[in-house]
Amino acid sequence: MIKRTLQYGFIISIGFPVVFLLVLSLGRRWAYPNILPEQISFANWEFLQQSDSKLFQAFFVSLGISLCVAVFVTALGFVISKFIAYSQRRNTFLVLAYIPYLLSPVIMAIIFQYYFIITGLTGTFLGVIIAQFLVAFPFGIIIYLNFWNAQLKSMEELSYTLGGSRWQTYKKVLLPLSKNALMLCFFQVFLISWFEYGLTNLIGSGKIRTLTVSVFNFVTEANIFYAALACFLLILPPMLLLYINKRFILFVEKTEL
Amino acid sequence: MKKLYNIKSFSTLLFLIIVVLPVFCGLVYATLYSFEIVGIINSGFTTKHWEDIIQGSAFWSSIGFSFYVAICSVVISLIFALAMALSWKKNLQKGALSTAIYLPLCFPGTVMAFFMFQFLSKSGFLSRLGFASGVLEDINSFPALINDAYGIGIIITSVVLITPFFVILFSNIYHTENIEAYKELATTFGASKRQLLQKVTLPILLKKSSVTIYLFIIFVMGSYEIPLLLGRQSPQMISVATVQKIQRFNLYDIPKGFAMSILYVLIIMSVLLFLYFRNRDYFKSETTK
Repeated sequence: MIKRTLQYGFIISIGFPVVFLLVLSLGRRWAYPNILPEQISFANWEFLQQSDSKLFQAFFVSLGISLCVAVFVTALGFVISKFIAYSQRRNTFLVLAYIPYLLSPVIMAIIFQYYFIITGLTGTFLGVIIAQFLVAFPFGIIIYLNFWNAQLKSMEELSYTLGGSRWQTYKKVLLPLSKNALMLCFFQVFLISWFEYGLTNLIGSGKIRTLTVSVFNFVTEANIFYAALACFLLILPPMLLLYINKRFILFVEKTEL
Repeated sequence: MKKLYNIKSFSTLLFLIIVVLPVFCGLVYATLYSFEIVGIINSGFTTKHWEDIIQGSAFWSSIGFSFYVAICSVVISLIFALAMALSWKKNLQKGALSTAIYLPLCFPGTVMAFFMFQFLSKSGFLSRLGFASGVLEDINSFPALINDAYGIGIIITSVVLITPFFVILFSNIYHTENIEAYKELATTFGASKRQLLQKVTLPILLKKSSVTIYLFIIFVMGSYEIPLLLGRQSPQMISVATVQKIQRFNLYDIPKGFAMSILYVLIIMSVLLFLYFRNRDYFKSETTK
């Protein structure tokens, strides 16, 4: 009985932040000691009908950046990781990939920043995509390195022995077998990019307003209701992903894909 | 065959260009700037900024504070995660809990930090509840959990974000490592419940997840958004302290910021190499075993 009560309590406490942010995003005026905002309305959400609103634009800027980064890392990482995985120096490459993966993205942004300035990429959409790509690519390699194994290599070699070309082997053998790995990489990288703040703010020079950047801007402006709304928009895609398949939300090193 | 060799070489080259070259070039520029060889204020080679950083207390107190926050967050998370993974092991495999445990993973650090700020600050939701129920006399009676000197708000937020990850990890290891069978074997040899936990379950779970635990300590040490929103000016976590040095209006702080970032990168690289040589099996895959 106690165990079940604790579990229900735990599930409710997990769901509480979502409800809290939703209520706050609908609110206006929240003076102390009121428990709930004095006004609850959909006024803050009207941005959905205004294409020139900051939040509307921030949502699509975030979506565009995250999709671009996820597509590039998934595609390029898939091809490059295969050669890295079967290389004799695989472990050296893996350790090299772990360095940017472990470093805080904002520290990476500090050491990259000069090159982005001299190439005129700071404060641009492309600059943020490239910077996020440089941070997310090693992570993509680490995801794929768990995937390539001796069995896959044997199947690939079998395809060549049976007369399959390189293109046919990729199309008919490797890609169908890699569906889960590709989707995991795509969604994980999408989430990394979607959640990113420090690097985006530094390389974007505050000009590229993603949702995470908007949250901090609204907090600085003391507009907690819009900040709550931006937060709610930030957790929507991951929650949708959770609904589709919870396994895409989480990546643990050294697990079967 | 030659074509395959070319693709391999090209892929390796591309990997090095994307992964190694930017970090290397960035570190070279940061090093030159920190010695005042390049940059706006360059006045010839000087080790002044490095001396300030190494001999001063700002960098080391930031590293120390980051390490303290990371250790506290990970240890508290491990305790909660082990308790949940072991007592709710069946429910974590199927049912509402098995999906609900993934929900906190949908929260980026920014969102969780904002939620905690609105929940735990002096004017936050918890304080309002306390006032309404008569527990608190006024707003100042509520303890300072946000922007506090001990990083309590940062630790609580990190714990909430990390714990579900460890619960899922331990739950998976428990089943893939077939710990139940080891426990049955130990029981037939007369092991008590406490011995099962201390000698069988915990050693297997912690040993199998050891590298992941170390990696999480590094991740928490480098976290930026949470301490930026919930931390205070002093002590600061290393990422926040470094960015602040770089972005200050005082140009003489920029070389110090670069020196701090180089030292931080060197520390992380040393820890990574240490982990690699201590846990070579972890970095091996089926293709190389």
